[in-house]
Amino acid sequence: MHGLRVSGTLLCHAGTHRIAFPAVDVAVIDAPGLHAGRSRSARQAFGEPAGASRVLLAPSGETVGVDTLEIDAEVHRVLPASPVVKWMGGGSLLGFIFVRGVLWPLVRLVEFEHFLAGAPREAA
Amino acid sequence: MGVSESEGRQSYLVFACGNSWYAVPAESAAEVVTFPELTRVPGAPAYLLGVFAHRGEVIPVVDMGLLVGTGSQSTRRAVLVRLSRGSLALTASTVAGVSLVSGSLEPLGASGVHVHLRGPAKGAQRDVAVIDPDGLFDHLSQGA
Repeated sequence: MHGLRVSGTLLCHAGTHRIAFPAVDVAVIDAPGLHAGRSRSARQAFGEPAGASRVLLAPSGETVGVDTLEIDAEVHRVLPASPVVKWMGGGSLLGFIFVRGVLWPLVRLVEFEHFLAGAPREAA
Repeated sequence: MGVSESEGRQSYLVFACGNSWYAVPAESAAEVVTFPELTRVPGAPAYLLGVFAHRGEVIPVVDMGLLVGTGSQSTRRAVLVRLSRGSLALTASTVAGVSLVSGSLEPLGASGVHVHLRGPAKGAQRDVAVIDPDGLFDHLSQGA
């Protein structure tokens, strides 16, 4: 990232909800079966039962499952998050990017996984 | 801006969220907006319905009924409150307009969000809870 811009993102869905990660945060994209019982589901952050069809693996080993993902190589301006929402997601929220006419919350993968680890796990 | 008894006859925008009526200082109420489909924020509590982009700013939408615990009513209208530190949209099922508000304007509670709601007060011929917008913004920023 350069200032308020991000170059390279993973545009994902967790259930029906949009969520994006900086591509530099993701070392490997895996099948969920390779991390069974260990990965957190991004759906939990939206109050939905856990589930995933892909798992994002951080260089430091944290894993977060998502339902869909698409790699976007474009450079996007990061719109700052209001103080009202900045603390949500365990402080993992970097801001928002505007892609294809809609906002995507941009979160740091490692911090987001730590947030999920501290949240009620439900069916994860 | 804080709300004090001496300001009890200023102009306020009076609006309803669910069955409860609220008033915000007219100088803080920038406009009434119809918001588009919202983007949910991961990890957001229920009262934070989501965010939308408005004139280059990402605006959080707060359902006062869910925040206060008086119940909610689905709507896509909101009162946009603009403060020096940012903006906030408060859902409004009905907007009564700008009115004078009178009352003692004491905090309606000793803790939580109720510290930033004042009353008993009357505006637009209704009982209203007067919102201290700066206090509410700080409260929400600290993780309500």
